[in-house]
Amino acid sequence: MNNRNYNIYFHTHTISGIIVAMVLYVIFFAGSFSFFKNEISAWQQGESVDKHGSAGFPYAMVLDSLDRQYDLHGRELYLYLYPNSLNTYVYMGPSLDTLHNKQAGESTYFYYNLADKQGRSYSEAYDLGEFLYRLHFLAQLNYVPIPIGYPFGYVVAGLVSFLFLFALITGLLLHWDKIIANFYLFRPWAKLKTLWTDLHTVLGVIGFPYQFVYAVTGIILIVNTVYLAPIGELLYGGEEDKVYEDLGFEVATDAVFLDKPISEIPDIPYLVKQTEQRWGESPLKRVTVKHYGDEGMQVILQSDADTRRSFSGSGYVVYDARGEIVKEKSPLAGSSYMDVMKSLVYRLHYGDYGGLFLKIVYFTLGIMGCVVIASGMVIWLVARDKNSVPAHKRRFNYWLVNIFLGICLSMFPVTGFTFIVVKTSQAVNETFIYQTCFYSWLALSLYFIARRDISRTNREALLLGAVMALLVPVSNGLYSANWPWQTLAAGELDIFFLDLFWVAVAIIAFISYWKVKLHQLRAARSH
Amino acid sequence: MPANKKYLTKSPLQRWLKITAGFFGGYAVMISFSVFLSVFMDRQHVLATGMVLGYVLWAILLLLAFLAKSAWKIWLIYLSLTALFALPYLVGA
Repeated sequence: MNNRNYNIYFHTHTISGIIVAMVLYVIFFAGSFSFFKNEISAWQQGESVDKHGSAGFPYAMVLDSLDRQYDLHGRELYLYLYPNSLNTYVYMGPSLDTLHNKQAGESTYFYYNLADKQGRSYSEAYDLGEFLYRLHFLAQLNYVPIPIGYPFGYVVAGLVSFLFLFALITGLLLHWDKIIANFYLFRPWAKLKTLWTDLHTVLGVIGFPYQFVYAVTGIILIVNTVYLAPIGELLYGGEEDKVYEDLGFEVATDAVFLDKPISEIPDIPYLVKQTEQRWGESPLKRVTVKHYGDEGMQVILQSDADTRRSFSGSGYVVYDARGEIVKEKSPLAGSSYMDVMKSLVYRLHYGDYGGLFLKIVYFTLGIMGCVVIASGMVIWLVARDKNSVPAHKRRFNYWLVNIFLGICLSMFPVTGFTFIVVKTSQAVNETFIYQTCFYSWLALSLYFIARRDISRTNREALLLGAVMALLVPVSNGLYSANWPWQTLAAGELDIFFLDLFWVAVAIIAFISYWKVKLHQLRAARSH
Repeated sequence: MPANKKYLTKSPLQRWLKITAGFFGGYAVMISFSVFLSVFMDRQHVLATGMVLGYVLWAILLLLAFLAKSAWKIWLIYLSLTALFALPYLVGA
């Protein structure tokens, strides 16, 4: 490789890396836990999806009660169904029949919970799973009042993902000439500095395909408007509906409100059941009802292909007011090009196509990403820690990395701590989770930053995190009477899994702590 | 050790121009290339391809701007490419 190019790759990789490092660590850490969003929600509520999920969503009951309360006539309804989750999002819009429907102007939305059969507002339904999920694309930063025409947190997350993609490409080119050798380079018993360098290079090279997928799909999921807006303007003449139809989010229908009530409403639960059977148990993701109870009524069901049968594919069916099929596309009858691209983005990002085992692999790779990022920060510091670098620059580098690692490494114990506090508290809502997590995170970060001892920060974060992790299943046993042996016996595998998962995390953290401690002792003795 | 400074851009103006050329110029090239593709391809296929690979192309264009010898030249190249790719669309519209 020519020297000029090599040094440009090196420099751009370093600069883009250090800019995004801290935020990217937060994204990777919270994102890794988000693979278990549903398990975390079930764990917090103490209600297993394995127990309540099989009955399915009670369409008849929910529609009846909405009809009694609001009169559904002439309204539009949306149901978003999340697989392996207890919650279903229900939206009921205003009615077009302003003449007969006295409550026509009213609308409502809520999360319907399968376990306690209650509707909740977003804030009431907010749980730790949702919190970590939203933290991983910085949704909480949207409250920062900086008007830039798009939620602030999403813009930051998008920019970080893009620079991450850039750092991945430059990193790969940088190591290109010795990429095969890098696979065999890991020297955990060598000097501390080579240990960091090896961690960064080897885990970076092994994890490259995974991280590349996450950089690209992450950009698409959070700021795809960067691409869609100009393309929608140029190729679709600004017709946003057409863009969303082509993307397969909306089904094009010709439903018109005819203002003629029908005597018999089509049996929606039956249509749902029939469709699910015809589509080989592919789970429905969205149910839309247009102009409820009118001659022009339509019921639209949308689904993704059952991932055990097909990786990609999405389908829809539109029923009219008599329950007859207007048009249909089965999710299993071959995928369009758009289906394949979309499934690549969603399935690969969510890791939801191979059961829990795949999610564990993804989680491990995600945490490996955190290690690559943290070791990158240490390399930045160590590479510049020599006499030829002016003292003020060295002070700045130490100051920076000390803060970055203080914030990043405290995330592990703080996450465990938040799980425990959430379990031991009665009324948990959005504000409560924010305060618990963010204040404890701030406190621990400030402590680590004030100590100004990076290797001590590392050891203490590992030890504290391990202790917290071990206490998570204990808190579940003490406060919810859900000890692992009880949840296992009751077949509540999601709750059981999460406790087991935290025990495994605790064991690995204890071993890591022990190894680091031994390393430190040995280094101290040899001096 | 950090990268050898001998090979890096020293002038702040040049550096700033390279960053903007890569970020904004690269974006313009990427979008205009998508529009160019729509001459031969169905617009839905352009959408499906571009929304995934467009970002990779953009990141590569950002890197190419840093590899360029002169920032003026890379701005000129990116602007010309944008104009070239947009030409069939502008003529057609």
